[in-house]
Amino acid sequence: MARTTKLSLNEWDTLHNNGPWKLKTLYKTKLEASSLMPSDIDRYNDAAQEIQRLLTETKNKNEGFRAYGSAWSMSNIAHQKDRMHFNAHMNTYFSFKDQDLHALSRYAAENLFLFQCGNIIKEISEKLEGHGKSLKTTGASNGQTIAGCISTGVHGSAVNVGSLQDYVVGLNLIIGPNPGDIVYLERHTKPALNDVFAQKLRSRVIRNDGLFNAALVGLGSFGFIHGVVIEAQNLFLLKRYVKKIKKETALELAEKLNFKSFKGIPEEVNSSGETNTPYHYKVFINQYREDKDKDYVVEFMYKKPFKLNYPDPFPVIKKSIYRDLVNVAVEIGSRVPSTIPLFINALKKSILPKVDETSMGTLAETFWDAPYQGPAFAISFGVDHTDSKEALKILSKVSIDEGPMPGIFAMRFIKKSDATLSFARFPTTCMIEIDGVLWNEKKKLGTLKDLSRKMIEALQLHGIAFTLHWGKNADWNFPGLVDHMYGQDAVNWRKYRCALLSEDMQKLFLNDFLKETMLSKKETVLDPDLIKSLL
Amino acid sequence: MKTKNYLILGLFMLFIVMLLMQSCYSVRLRSVEGTYEPAAPLVRNDYYRNMEVIEIDTVITLGAIDKDFTYLIKKSDRCPSGKLHTVEYRNTLGAVLLSGITFGRKRKVKIKYVCMKSN
Repeated sequence: MARTTKLSLNEWDTLHNNGPWKLKTLYKTKLEASSLMPSDIDRYNDAAQEIQRLLTETKNKNEGFRAYGSAWSMSNIAHQKDRMHFNAHMNTYFSFKDQDLHALSRYAAENLFLFQCGNIIKEISEKLEGHGKSLKTTGASNGQTIAGCISTGVHGSAVNVGSLQDYVVGLNLIIGPNPGDIVYLERHTKPALNDVFAQKLRSRVIRNDGLFNAALVGLGSFGFIHGVVIEAQNLFLLKRYVKKIKKETALELAEKLNFKSFKGIPEEVNSSGETNTPYHYKVFINQYREDKDKDYVVEFMYKKPFKLNYPDPFPVIKKSIYRDLVNVAVEIGSRVPSTIPLFINALKKSILPKVDETSMGTLAETFWDAPYQGPAFAISFGVDHTDSKEALKILSKVSIDEGPMPGIFAMRFIKKSDATLSFARFPTTCMIEIDGVLWNEKKKLGTLKDLSRKMIEALQLHGIAFTLHWGKNADWNFPGLVDHMYGQDAVNWRKYRCALLSEDMQKLFLNDFLKETMLSKKETVLDPDLIKSLL
Repeated sequence: MKTKNYLILGLFMLFIVMLLMQSCYSVRLRSVEGTYEPAAPLVRNDYYRNMEVIEIDTVITLGAIDKDFTYLIKKSDRCPSGKLHTVEYRNTLGAVLLSGITFGRKRKVKIKYVCMKSN
């Protein structure tokens, strides 16, 4: 039997110290030893049974329950005050053969894999590499669990790829403690696995695009995500360049995403004289130097066919400060004594360090381990990329006028997602993020929530449509925020949730985040076929 | 003249103290491959915040005919794979002195290690 350790705690916190919040009980479940239960399917189903036992225990106490993995989210989206479940030890996986595919499946069996919820991105990459495969994109990092990534919409900056949830083709959810409460969801227009395999998981199959898209970025509220079926692709290499380019050029590329005439990287100009379109484009901005600096630091990555014996990327990757935005801010801050005003002064005085880096590696190597760097915050707005220049200007101004605060900006780009509540809502979404070091809000600097509220108000005032990253900091209580961002899609998401989960389970999987965002609101489901399997 | 001698002696002593302080250092080895055993709940606020780190702070005694000592890493609840992901060893002045005055028979071992996550 899978073993669960039950700890009585007073509080729980995220990796980046964004809490703490109150917590009564923490569950940690480990799979049965493979020496005692050699079949992976048996161990997987055994774990499902154990989760159902925990749901029964929680329900009998009339308490709440939420699962989490690596605690990387900075908002309180993962938190539940009663019971939380740490699932990172639930990490088996399955590969498939043609006989496992649905008759109408257009996927290649060799590209499909089912990962149990607690698989961390890095271990998924390693498991896939053993099959000659790779994830299509990551969150430009590797420490989150797969279930955490998809339920909060984690993204990288893969311009034409999308977010992590966009290559999920099946979801195995535990939606209650009873037999029949394990469901396997797919899109009816894109079936992947057959019913025989779903039966091996003791799951009821529902193929329904609307339900699947709603559950995909489910914010941990569509039940316990036990398994995720993803479509992988053949291993590839990324050639990474980090450079300084003219500010106007960087912003024009952001607004138009037309890289053909950009000549900043001669190595990527093809034989017809046009520059290749990058796989990844990211812009770093120190808003405190906006009037003084003429250049921005940008990161480009170009996809290359996989080969062996490419140069070791680690000497560059390990030392690069431009691996993520928090890293850049912390690097600048480390040059001064650790007080926030001096940190901000350093940002005002420091141009972003000069850089001219090139490296080549797999996706997993390029986005290698990011060490813990102390308490950090991040606010991340999604806007249409054509609004990126204007939105950046507005948000930078707020950060200076209402701050100053110890953080800097970056822009990343992602293709539109089909997930109902994905923040990648625009044809290409530009995620404008501000990351930095958490400060003591009791001092004179104002609060993070105030800063976020003023940013929301400023974008609304200028009529710029936006979304917010679910796993990052924001004034999630802002009146009408989710309806403003998602309109009818928010209503549809709530309807699917109410249709899939029983009243008891809607309450059990509830948390403060859902209440604050009004996504807990009950919707009347008039269509009896709303979550009917359509294939 | 006497004051000058004291000053030189003081500076010399300061130099020696600074030199000895440099004998306290730590070195970390981390595998490029593999995922660390994760920690829950997160209670540390250092490099190992999200890792299940195991700390050893002990003195080992070598027998008269022993040439070296091997510390075995075994499977346990906090190290279910029994395989190493990260090792940090710390050398201190006390450890150097202890080894010196016991002719290498007693050795201070101050290590932090993190295991690979088990599959």
